[in-house]
Amino acid sequence: MPVLEVSEVCVAFGGNQVLSEVSLTVAGGGVTGLIGPNGAGKTTLFNVVSGLLAPKSGRVTIDGHDVTKAGPSRRARRGLARTYQRLELFTSLTVRDNIRVAGEIRNSWSRRGRMDVATETDRVIALVGLGDVADREVSELPTGRARVVEVARALMTQPKILLLDEPASGQTEQETEAFGRLLRQLVDERDLAICLVEHDVGLVMGTCEHIHVLDYGQVIASGSPDQVKDDPVVVNAYLGTP
Amino acid sequence: MHLFLTYTILGLVTGAVYGIAASGLVLTYTTSGIFNFAQGAMAMLAAFTYWQFRYGWNWPAPLALFAVLVVLAPLLGMVLYVGIMRGLRQTADVTKIVVTIGIMLGLIALAQWIWSPGVPRTDGLFFGNTAKFKVLGVYVTDHEAIALGCGVLIAVGIRLLFTSTRTGVAMRAVVDNPALLQLNGGRPERLAAFSWALGGAMAALAGILITPISGGTLDVHVLTLLVLDSIAAAMFGRLRSIWLTFAGALVLGLAGTYVLGYFPESWSWASNFRIALPMIVLFVVLIVLPQERLRGATLLRTRERFTVPTMRSAVTWGVILLLVVLALEQVMGTSDMGSLTVGIIFGIIALSLTLLTGYAGEINLAPVSFGAIATIIVFHLGLSGTGTAQRITFWGLLLGMAVTAVVGGLIALPALRLRGLYLALATLAFGVFVSDMIIADIAPHVLPIFHLNYSIFPNGTLQIPPLKLGPIDLSSSKTFLTTATCIFILIGIGLIALRRSNYGRRLTAMKDSPAAAATLGQNLIKLKLSVFMISAAIAGLGGVLLSSASVSVNSDTFIIFVSLALVMLTVVGGIGNVAGALMGGILAGTAFQALTSTFSNLSTDAGGGGFWSVMANLSLVAPALVGVSLGRSPSGAVPDIVARYKPLWHAKGVLLLGVTAEVVAYLLVLTKVMGNWWLVLATGVIAIALPAVGQLVQPEAFLHPTKAPPARETLEPPPVAAELLVEGVVDARP
Repeated sequence: MPVLEVSEVCVAFGGNQVLSEVSLTVAGGGVTGLIGPNGAGKTTLFNVVSGLLAPKSGRVTIDGHDVTKAGPSRRARRGLARTYQRLELFTSLTVRDNIRVAGEIRNSWSRRGRMDVATETDRVIALVGLGDVADREVSELPTGRARVVEVARALMTQPKILLLDEPASGQTEQETEAFGRLLRQLVDERDLAICLVEHDVGLVMGTCEHIHVLDYGQVIASGSPDQVKDDPVVVNAYLGTP
Repeated sequence: MHLFLTYTILGLVTGAVYGIAASGLVLTYTTSGIFNFAQGAMAMLAAFTYWQFRYGWNWPAPLALFAVLVVLAPLLGMVLYVGIMRGLRQTADVTKIVVTIGIMLGLIALAQWIWSPGVPRTDGLFFGNTAKFKVLGVYVTDHEAIALGCGVLIAVGIRLLFTSTRTGVAMRAVVDNPALLQLNGGRPERLAAFSWALGGAMAALAGILITPISGGTLDVHVLTLLVLDSIAAAMFGRLRSIWLTFAGALVLGLAGTYVLGYFPESWSWASNFRIALPMIVLFVVLIVLPQERLRGATLLRTRERFTVPTMRSAVTWGVILLLVVLALEQVMGTSDMGSLTVGIIFGIIALSLTLLTGYAGEINLAPVSFGAIATIIVFHLGLSGTGTAQRITFWGLLLGMAVTAVVGGLIALPALRLRGLYLALATLAFGVFVSDMIIADIAPHVLPIFHLNYSIFPNGTLQIPPLKLGPIDLSSSKTFLTTATCIFILIGIGLIALRRSNYGRRLTAMKDSPAAAATLGQNLIKLKLSVFMISAAIAGLGGVLLSSASVSVNSDTFIIFVSLALVMLTVVGGIGNVAGALMGGILAGTAFQALTSTFSNLSTDAGGGGFWSVMANLSLVAPALVGVSLGRSPSGAVPDIVARYKPLWHAKGVLLLGVTAEVVAYLLVLTKVMGNWWLVLATGVIAIALPAVGQLVQPEAFLHPTKAPPARETLEPPPVAAELLVEGVVDARP
């Protein structure tokens, strides 16, 4: 059963149709890619899914529950977490406190029992490799690492599905490789589905089992990396000929 | 029908004037992103200036109008923008709000200084009272016709400016993305300055038109508030649409006159209701406004930075503050102690802002009005004993705080989905409403079902006795001061503990990124409601103490300007720090204390009040100037002070020398070798000299600031600075 299901979502800003009847699913326990040129509507779709933006029409289902009418916090409680393309860190807190407060927020609503926030924070910091900067102010970090803080923060809510909005932009090549391994590790070790918006084609092709391609607010292709890579429509709209 | 027409015309005229003032607000807001709270004060100042030219110096009306509308008012608008507002980009909402509030208070103080409030002044109608004509059997004065005409002209003019001229289209682009506009060859700074000049002219026009219509008497506060009412109209148009703004203005104007005309005379509250109506409308409009969607912050970083002290340093500075106050009690006279007490109590009210604004990022512009609610509850339900033995009971105080928390929650609940400026305006509306309807409810009226003769604020003055907390009786001024200080310290330490707790981190998360906090599962409404209620309870506690310290309270005690000054001065001190609250409280407590005593001096001693009124005016203008300077250091004064004195920690010898000198000076005063003034002087000299001496003797401590422990270790100002503040209060008055 898909963890996330988006059906026929339409969004318009003024007269500008940003998403037209977008339908797609994200399967549990894997990495699903969402790619497309700038302005295709990827971040808008994330905002609709996480409840920050109400669609004009359409339906969003998380883990079998219809959440179309629910606000962001209730969707989080259904197991959704996300990161932001334009960073949304808690800039007056340290790296550790950014991650810790997410666990504390999670404890305030979770019905699956309280977690030991301090231990879990340390575990997640070690997992994503932020140990060396844990006590720094988050505003001092370079963008690439700040994005990792957002991922760590999202993990603290123990989500079923994690939306990552361009997590590798601003990362070095080595960081991106390590990040790809981290994503696979998360999917394999935790009961977690990831939906990844990313322009680094290598990362997307290397980590995703399934890819949706968005262009001008419409899904123009869906399939395995190999299928998508050779799809003439996708090559024309986004990938280009090598 | 005749009566209806009369009221309708009067309503339309008032509405047109509201519309003129409101469109000035919209204009400046759309081009500079700054909501000008000083609009009302600018209108007031223009009305006074016009009076001076026209009636004071007998200039002909066209010349006086030209001087005010075409020269002075646009100049003031432009100078404000270029000199102050331009520096406010990338600051938090609260900083922007506070700076224009500073200008408002500054202009009010300036007007009171130039035009002594004791002298009556009236503006006449244009062309006099006899110039009128008949429309449908109703007389319309030429003045009213002119006001209406100006309204129509300005509505159409601005609309055309925005839609049909290059300048206007560029003006609309400024607020969305000044950088982009600049890349495309626009000049955002020049456009914004131009719109501030226009806004200034419109404020002035509104002020000059409305004064004769509303009776002609020039009163600083009344005029400022009158034009402040136009905010409600601007909100109709969501600070964007000129048409809706004017529509809202007409609704406001008509509703006001119809209430005046058609509410039964037996409703004793009807005239208060009419005065409060614009603020009620403002509150309702804010709530009904379509919800602003949660989204990422448009700024990546604001310039404000606050650090959190450790518990150890919080407790240490608390003890030091208590010791300083105890030491001062030994050398102070009763009246000085009283004024210090008021300062500390304002500090307690300011702590409610530290929590709400500093930690949670929400703005309350009417903290003292919450204090008024608590005072009223305590007066009606929380007193025991009679005559001089009457006391506020502990349970009465608690009840007052609880009711205030509930009222805070009720006010905040509908306003909770508002953020920043809009929530600030909702609290402003509440504050003015409390003044206009609750505190103004002085005449007894019969409650419909219970047949009780009742008034909320009997006779306009409440006598509030001292507080009795178990065995501690606060009737002696020394005990009161000590207790108030202890309460401040306890709440201050409590807040720091709160900030360091799970709850405090969640507040910070909400402040830094509401979107991220919500998508982590935080229920923002619940969190905001809880912090609003705690904050209201603290303000309520402070309010009861304030009333008790003032002994008798009236509408002046709780007027919105007191709240606004306190908010401003707390931000000046540092809204994110407990020490900033103390500084803000003491500054506000002192300035207003000085004003109050000056007015009592003036009334008792009508002949010789000149010097003291100058002093009071100076003390009133000065804090406003300080508030205006916030653009340069938006985090407040406390972090600056800390930065200046911190290196002394590594120059222990110099620090010890300074403390010793201070102790010696204190002992000399204690043994009456020197007068109190000398202590103030000595403290000032030591405070100023210490960093300089330190730099001379141990320059290495000042050269390597990185060697100092990380900035989050200490926050409160060093003792020297704290004493300077405290003692400045003590002896700055006769």
